[in-house]
Amino acid sequence: MASNGDDFTARLMDDMDPVLLDFVKTKVNSFIKWDLVRFFHENPHTADTVENIAKYAGRNVSAVEPELEDLVENGIMTKTQLNDTTIFTLATDDEMRSLVDKFILACEDRHFRVKAVYHIIRGMR
Amino acid sequence: MDRVKTGITGLDDMLGGGFLPKTANLVEGAPGTGKTTLGMQFIYNGITQFNEPGIIITFEEFPKQYYYDAAAFGWDFQELEKKGLLKVIMTSPEVSKLGVESVGGLLSQHIQQMDARRIVVDSITHFGRLTQDPIELRSLEFNFINALKREELTCLLTRESPVLLGENTEDAGIGFIVDSYIVMRYVEIESAIRKALFVLKMRGSDHAKDIRQFDIVANGLEVQARFEGQEGILSGSPRRMADSFVKAFVKR
Repeated sequence: MASNGDDFTARLMDDMDPVLLDFVKTKVNSFIKWDLVRFFHENPHTADTVENIAKYAGRNVSAVEPELEDLVENGIMTKTQLNDTTIFTLATDDEMRSLVDKFILACEDRHFRVKAVYHIIRGMR
Repeated sequence: MDRVKTGITGLDDMLGGGFLPKTANLVEGAPGTGKTTLGMQFIYNGITQFNEPGIIITFEEFPKQYYYDAAAFGWDFQELEKKGLLKVIMTSPEVSKLGVESVGGLLSQHIQQMDARRIVVDSITHFGRLTQDPIELRSLEFNFINALKREELTCLLTRESPVLLGENTEDAGIGFIVDSYIVMRYVEIESAIRKALFVLKMRGSDHAKDIRQFDIVANGLEVQARFEGQEGILSGSPRRMADSFVKAFVKR
C-alpha cells in the first residue's frame, strides 16, 4: 500500500510542464542553485566573484562555489577569467534566459513550488 | 560648447547648461539626501530625453531595489533594459576596475554593445575597500575614472558623506580628480530639515555659486530657489541674517 501511495505522490509531483520538470531535476536541483537563479533573475546584470556572490546570497563561499560551477556546466551561468579573477554572470543565451524566466514565473504558484521542493529533496537523497 | 544635460529642473542652470561631455562628476551627500535619485534621473533623462543610453554600476544596493525605486517616480527601468538602453550592473570595485582596464573587459563589452554615453557609479566610496593607503586609493580612483573617460562616457560618481549636518571634514582626495563636484547637505531651519545643494567646482566652465534648496518630488529631484535671508547654511544650522542687511543687500 505504501508503495502505491508513493507512486501516487510521484505521479502527482511529476504533473508539471515537462521542460520545467527537467529543469528542476537536472539544473536547479538544490536550494542554493534555486536561490542563485532567483538572485540572478532579479539582478540580471550582476557580474562578480564567488566571494561577493556568496555574500549577496547570504551563504558560505564553500557552499556556493560548486553550485555556481554546476550552473556554468548547465549553461545557466557564464564564467569569465579577468587576470587572476573569476567572474560569474548570468548566461546571455536567449533560450536559457527564457527558461529561467519561465521557472521564476512558475514559482509564483504555490503548487509548483511544493512540487519543485519535492523533487529537490528527492534528488538530494 | 556642448553640454550633457541632466534634465533636472534647476540643476542644468546651475551647471551652466549641464555637465561637460566625457567628464567625471562627483555628487557627495549624507545618506538620504538624494544622490542615487539624482544619478537615476541623470540616466533616465539621458535615455528618454536625449537619446543617450546609460549604465548604472552599483556596489551595494541590489538592481532590484533600483527598479523598485525608479518605478516610484514612474521610470520603468526594466522596460528600458529590455530595449537595450539601460543596464543596472551589480558588481564590486575590484571587478569593475578589472572590467574597464582589461581589453574586452565585461564593462567595456556592455558599453560597446549599448553605445552607452552616460554612466553612474554608486558609490565610488566603495573603492575604499580596495586599499587602506590614501595615495594608492587616489591612484586607483584616478585610473578607473580615466578608463571610463576613454570609453567616452560622461560619468556621475556618488560619494557618501558620513556627516548628517554641517561640513564634512573627511579627506576627499577624489575631489581633486573629478571635473565637477556637487555637494548635497541637510540644513536645519526653524526646527525643520531641508536640503541644500551647491556646485563646489566645475572645471572649464562657469557655474552657479549660490546654495539652493532642493526637494525630491513625484517625478524626481527638483532644484528650487536659493536660501534667502539665511547665512551659515553649510554649518547645517544657519542663522537668520540681520533684517537691515537683508533689506539693504538681499531683497533689492
